[in-house]
Amino acid sequence: MFATPSAMKKSLQYDQQSCRLTLEGLPDLSAGQSGDVVGILTGWSLAWVGRPEELEGRRDHLQAILQVVLPYARLLLSGVPRRVGAAQDPAEIAPAADGRHTLLLRSSQPDVEPLELVLDDAELADLVRVLDRLRLDPRLQVDLPVPPVRPLRAREVQERTPLPRRLAGVVGGAAALALAAASAWLLPPPPAPQPVASPTPAAAGGAPVPPP
Amino acid sequence: MVMTAAAPAAASPAAEPTTAAAPARPLSRRGIERLDLLLLTVEALDYSGGEAMVLISDQLGFTELFPNRVELWKRRCHNPLRRNFRRGSLAPAETDALIRILCVMAERLYPFLHQLLSRSEPEDLTRERWDLFRARLSELVRERMNLRRSGVQRLLDPQAGAPQRRQLIQSLALVAGSGGVERMRASLMDADG
Repeated sequence: MFATPSAMKKSLQYDQQSCRLTLEGLPDLSAGQSGDVVGILTGWSLAWVGRPEELEGRRDHLQAILQVVLPYARLLLSGVPRRVGAAQDPAEIAPAADGRHTLLLRSSQPDVEPLELVLDDAELADLVRVLDRLRLDPRLQVDLPVPPVRPLRAREVQERTPLPRRLAGVVGGAAALALAAASAWLLPPPPAPQPVASPTPAAAGGAPVPPP
Repeated sequence: MVMTAAAPAAASPAAEPTTAAAPARPLSRRGIERLDLLLLTVEALDYSGGEAMVLISDQLGFTELFPNRVELWKRRCHNPLRRNFRRGSLAPAETDALIRILCVMAERLYPFLHQLLSRSEPEDLTRERWDLFRARLSELVRERMNLRRSGVQRLLDPQAGAPQRRQLIQSLALVAGSGGVERMRASLMDADG
């Protein structure tokens, strides 16, 4: 007796306050996986509380979301939020004007408008948490690589300091130097050195010695 | 908002795998400042945060590093903003342990963090929660930090300190749980290389 694919179908669910991520798939029997794991991802869906949109897609789309959302969270943690993902990528996330975050998902099908989700900080944190749980779940044995997490370079972090504050040190130092240089002009000039006469015997106070 | 968390549940992050190695070099001065401020934020959200940290430290297997609350406090005093600043730096193993403790604490407090960050909560209630958090954080900062430091003064300022306080809460929400350990570690080592 062989198990049918529908009988082997497995579903993994990750819940947070504002969203629910559901993965569906099958164990990869050719890789010797048991029925408890998902080795072949057949689909996924992401539902939001209070929003009509439910995202669905294939593995590539989930991979694209992972590739942009987690690096974006990493940047946000360092206080330098900026766009992650390019115009031709299937997913893109960027800071919105009002402190929210715009997640843009582009369909692989032609003539389908991109889906835009505007998330507040709490919803973004929920999304990051479900993605974290997914990638750390031992029941999911699908290769979903994420970019390595690394410290930012000094140049990247400097962006979080406003330009006036960054320049304050330099301007302050230059002003202090100029003030010190200007105050040097106010000091009285030192007296000119007097020429020193070569000592003569008379000046030395001794009586001239007659020649022999 | 009830700002007292229950006794910590089993600390899962110790058992879960991480892909990044522990930091090989000590944290910079700025990194220690941030780490300690985040731990202080946890204490501002949870009145029993100090005791919970020791308990979680034991659960995560860090009893040798931090056998009691005083030892934990001594490590945190490497923060240059502290009133009782201790010279020296944190050993990489101590840094890693503090980051893991922080991420577990953030996970426990995640519902509170979510409430503070969510825009779907009633506005008045959110303002009240933020005021309560600011009052508690200011109290702890005045008690423990060097008030002559400009960074401390800015944090205490009701208006000027608001973005930094939000950044602290947002950071905790983004590192909650074992998935946040690598992110937190990398962020604390920014601009070190």
